[in-house]
Amino acid sequence: MTMTERPDLAAELRAAILSADPRLSKFSPLRRILTYDDFNSGAHGWTELLGNYNGNGDLSTVDDHMRDFRPPQLSNCSFFDIGSHGAMTGSYALKLATRPYEGHTATAIRRLTMSGRGLLQIEAYFTFKAEATVDGSAGDQFGDVTWDGNLHPSEAQFGCFTVATDLCGDGGLRYHTVARYLNTTLDNTLSRQWVYPTVPEPTPREHLEGKVKLAYGADFTAPNPEDWQPFGEPQELCYNEVPTKVNWHYLRWVIDTGARRSVELQVNDRVMDMSSIPVPPYEERYDSLENLLNFYFSVRTHSSVRNFLFLDSVLISTEW
Amino acid sequence: MRQVQTAVLERDTTFDADFATEPYEVAWAGEARWFVHTLSASGEDVAVRLVTQISPDGLTWCDLDGHEHVVTGPGLVTWPVERFGQWLRLRGTVTGGNPSAKLRIYLTAKS
Repeated sequence: MTMTERPDLAAELRAAILSADPRLSKFSPLRRILTYDDFNSGAHGWTELLGNYNGNGDLSTVDDHMRDFRPPQLSNCSFFDIGSHGAMTGSYALKLATRPYEGHTATAIRRLTMSGRGLLQIEAYFTFKAEATVDGSAGDQFGDVTWDGNLHPSEAQFGCFTVATDLCGDGGLRYHTVARYLNTTLDNTLSRQWVYPTVPEPTPREHLEGKVKLAYGADFTAPNPEDWQPFGEPQELCYNEVPTKVNWHYLRWVIDTGARRSVELQVNDRVMDMSSIPVPPYEERYDSLENLLNFYFSVRTHSSVRNFLFLDSVLISTEW
Repeated sequence: MRQVQTAVLERDTTFDADFATEPYEVAWAGEARWFVHTLSASGEDVAVRLVTQISPDGLTWCDLDGHEHVVTGPGLVTWPVERFGQWLRLRGTVTGGNPSAKLRIYLTAKS
């Protein structure tokens, strides 16, 4: 057998190797695997996001809405009722946890740079939960959900989670691609809708220039709710009734850094075309960010209940 | 190589009343250490008394030991933590006349 007889032999071999590896066979990576994280050996560079500070390291100069995004945690998904749930791959997952403060956001960011242009993909197995309430203060109703033995008010206590990029290159042209699962609206009504922002994220430089000043708890990705638009149809995920059952979901998101666009988002059995979604860049050019390639996940509570986003594993791959 | 994680649980936060830090999961860690950096403090006889708390579920808490660590002014205070459960946090008691203290609280954990 020669390569001439089997022109797709390299692709077949690659597929066989990937499918035989239990770590990778649950992913569909592009040509080059840039990072693979399963969180049984640390946080793998996923870290807290913090706004910029002045030359004296004075953290009081950090924007109020970007000063408390909370450190990610290595969690074995333990709960008050059943003990340790464990992750999908081994014992540990990366956990993002908000404060129990309406509007508060927790983040984890991974900082890389681009060695080319073209297709870029992030895949993850994730789940999302609101913190259980056990002190008798919760009741059986929250938002538009009343406990009926199946649907649990905890589900309405979860706000939203987001996966996004911060990308810059080609002379300081900076932009974000963003996909958010809006589980509930700000008034705690189930929405279950994927949304994207129509404006770029406010930056510390814009604050320093007097253009924007946001309060603690503001939505740092796009603070005005009117600047978010839906894409795709509403999608029900597997919250699984109560706040202490964990079911892992698959996410695959493709971006084209050559065209500076999102391409498509797959979440479980749903694939959503994102190619027509506008990605507005910043009008001004940025220094010090050439080839910036950041991914972040965030979780935001719309209630006074802590919200959690758990990541079992994340794989970033590229076609360059 | 051992795993190590440093988390900044409070970042230059000004406390003028009793408080507890957010829950932090350290099920993977065999040892930990608090570093409490007091950046400034004001008020008559101001004191912040800090006690390590543990929890099996992140919801219900008790003191780990009887040790109270007292902050009265700027500087760094540290102590080790051993044989803890899944979660760690600090509870702080703030006393004095018009007391106020700006704290940066680090938790370092090691496998």
